[in-house]
Amino acid sequence: MSLIQLYIPSDVVRYTVSQLGELGLIQFRDLNTEVSAFQRSFVNDVRRFDEIERKLRYLRSQIERSDVDVYDFLDEDFASSSRGPRDIDDMEERINAHESRVVKLTMAYKNLQLKNLELIENKHVLEEVSSLFSEITGRQQTAGPQGAGGRSSIDAARAGGMDLDVEHGSVVGHDINVGFVTGVIPRDRVSTLERVLWRSLRGNMFLNYVDIEEPIHDPNQDEPVYKSAFIVFAHGESLRDRATRIAESLGATLYRVDSNAERRQEELIDTMSRIDDLHQILENNNVARLTELTSVSEQINTWFTVVRKEKAVYHTLNLFNYDANRNCLIAEGWCATNDIPAIQSALHIATEDAGSNVPTILHELRTTKEPPTFIRTNKFTEGFQNIVDAYGVPKAGEVNPGLFTCITFPFLFALMFGDLGHGFLMTLSAALLCIYERRLSWLAKSESLRMFYSGRYIILLMGIFSMFTGLLYNDIFSRAMSIFASGWVWPTDKGGEGVIVEATRLGHTYLVGIDPAWHHASNSLLFTNSYKMKMSIVLGVIHMTLGICLQVPNALHFKKRINIIHVFVPQIIFLFSIFGYLVFAIILKWSTDWYARDASGELTHISPPSLLNMLIYMFLSPGSVSESETMFRGQAALQTLLLLTALVCVPWMLLVKPLILRREHQKIISEGYGRISSHVRVSTDGDELGGAVVMTEQEEMQEDDFDFGDIMINQSIHTIEFCLNSISNTASYLRLWALSLAHAQLSEVLWTMTFLPTLKMHGALQPVAIFCGFAVWFLLTFFILIGMEGLSAFLHALRLHWVEFNNKFYDGTGVKFEPFSFKAVLDETEE
Amino acid sequence: MGGALVFWVGVITAAICVAMLFTFKNMSDPTLWRTCSILTLSCCYLMWAITYLAQLHPIIIPKRDNLRVDL
Repeated sequence: MSLIQLYIPSDVVRYTVSQLGELGLIQFRDLNTEVSAFQRSFVNDVRRFDEIERKLRYLRSQIERSDVDVYDFLDEDFASSSRGPRDIDDMEERINAHESRVVKLTMAYKNLQLKNLELIENKHVLEEVSSLFSEITGRQQTAGPQGAGGRSSIDAARAGGMDLDVEHGSVVGHDINVGFVTGVIPRDRVSTLERVLWRSLRGNMFLNYVDIEEPIHDPNQDEPVYKSAFIVFAHGESLRDRATRIAESLGATLYRVDSNAERRQEELIDTMSRIDDLHQILENNNVARLTELTSVSEQINTWFTVVRKEKAVYHTLNLFNYDANRNCLIAEGWCATNDIPAIQSALHIATEDAGSNVPTILHELRTTKEPPTFIRTNKFTEGFQNIVDAYGVPKAGEVNPGLFTCITFPFLFALMFGDLGHGFLMTLSAALLCIYERRLSWLAKSESLRMFYSGRYIILLMGIFSMFTGLLYNDIFSRAMSIFASGWVWPTDKGGEGVIVEATRLGHTYLVGIDPAWHHASNSLLFTNSYKMKMSIVLGVIHMTLGICLQVPNALHFKKRINIIHVFVPQIIFLFSIFGYLVFAIILKWSTDWYARDASGELTHISPPSLLNMLIYMFLSPGSVSESETMFRGQAALQTLLLLTALVCVPWMLLVKPLILRREHQKIISEGYGRISSHVRVSTDGDELGGAVVMTEQEEMQEDDFDFGDIMINQSIHTIEFCLNSISNTASYLRLWALSLAHAQLSEVLWTMTFLPTLKMHGALQPVAIFCGFAVWFLLTFFILIGMEGLSAFLHALRLHWVEFNNKFYDGTGVKFEPFSFKAVLDETEE
Repeated sequence: MGGALVFWVGVITAAICVAMLFTFKNMSDPTLWRTCSILTLSCCYLMWAITYLAQLHPIIIPKRDNLRVDL
């Protein structure tokens, strides 16, 4: 990882950054941190592209709404080549033109729709009102000559069979003004309208209405609405006004209708022809709009890509130091040292594209700053590296725990999950995910399934290891297998319900795994608990030892030899003298035949001692081991020695390193050297042409206060933490036992409760019962035992790695290397 | 058999691990392959050895009370 500096002439800069974006190898540093976002040099350009993007988004939403297919076609040449400013301007102009046309057409469309609505409602009103008028006459006929005196002329009209236009407003008697108000109102408001009108006009009105059969499409609302045409007769201008206002407030639309039937007919014909015309216009408008949108849709993907890339380029340009006088920009960034030749060639290509004669200059800077960490991962290691990064990104140069996690994580998971059957199902599903990973890559975008897809290799490995541990635990869906010859044999003469029998030991041990005889034993938990607990301690101590040993490569890389001798060595000795001894005792106890008899038939050993007691009394009463607890000769002396060694290690860890550091510091001071603190910036030399790689030194501020108190406190925290953690972390590995016990018990309970009874059933219903029992058993196995227990074991294995393992050596304060890459920008904006 | 088996299998596994250090020269990422294979072999051997040792000289005897008697 090297820090490089680029001097880019202004006319080449856009081409250069585009090329570098395509390449994706440099992470640029922000050289303008003291400047706010609005004061940066290229803010206007960013804004311009924001505008264009907004217009593109509008166009895309219009396309989607009109159900035009968006072509996935991406004009590769245009999108990936270096684009000149003229190309961008052309594109912008075209986009603007399209957008304004589409906006106009859409506006016009809306207006036409509204007009359409009006005309249709008018038509309905005209149609219905004629029927209302005829009804009125009918009623008036039945009402007879009772009404106001003014009705006589109606009678006359009736008698004369004259047509009805006589009954219109200006007809009758003293009250000449029987005017009417017509309109259209949503059907559910009609009764409200009637009531309100009745109350406010004090009954001096007559309302009649007819439902319009077909629903009317209002462009402002999504669904078609059922409406009714109504007519309100009222005396006098003021009453009619009131009626108008009330109707309008209730959401009615009023239309003027002529009382003359002939004229109504004419109006109707006129309206219908206008509707036809309007439909024609709407058609034309639609066609025009669709053509416009189709032509846009072919290019919209390309435009989007180009706009996003340009925006990314300008955002990056904002990070550079813009030297307006010298007409060039200075960029600083991190890149992998091996990639510098590739970057050089990209710079050449950019200069050629721009047609410029001035090359871009690349300097490699020497710096003490900490580079971002770049870890190359392939699709297999990526998952494991992610779970390590979730705890902390490795510091540059540090040992990457991800390497070991690839195997230790699935192994620790498998210790807690061990079941051949469950492991097989897990392996199967993960294998499917891995084999079809290309086809299933859409899973990476789904929120909930993303975890399973990106962790498919982790799950695959977890499954394979679980099959192995399942084989060793002799567990397949909670049943035991007898692959090899068992080491025990049950008696053939005794037995029966309730009679306790003991197995007899044959000479050999079951070759691979736990003996199947334990499966049927009622005291099997006694054995398996002891076995699994001891295994957890042994494997835990080994795992932690690995962690502590990883300090050595770190110390060697960062050239801190003092760390090896005075931190690593006492830590290892401390751990081994206590817990290494415990592991030794465990293995010794396993290897001793406690019931061996010598020549005369006497037991050669004492009854097997308790290891827990041994450890406790090692601390409580050092130097003496009771007769009945001695495992080997010289045990008391050995234990005392180990205890003293551990005790010596504590002040060693605590004091030696700070004191040595202090001595060194004093030696330097006494020789008269102060600490250099200088801040020199590299100055630009105008005549550095040729594009050669020049080594320049850049010194940075050295913060350097040797604070003995600080170091002492740090070291004491470190020491106390290590000593206390050595006990608690070792005990923490017992979760390997706990979870595997829980898994085994759960699995067995599920079997005996759901499936086994159906196998023991008698009767004709047994097949059905077996079918249902199996279904329940399998579903619960899959979702609870594999799903829930799997997640639980995953979590605990993760914790063991993050806390117990990483604590011993890992710094994890690094920053991830995120190079400026168009691919990353485009992927980000896709989500 | 017995303890000697554990020892000899251990020796064989250690030998294979050492051999693993020198294979994988032509892979894309030899460190990864080497580490993974050595770790896998050691983990598997450890677990098998512990299981075998735990049953070598048993301290408790399996008991059961529902043995089916065939007459």
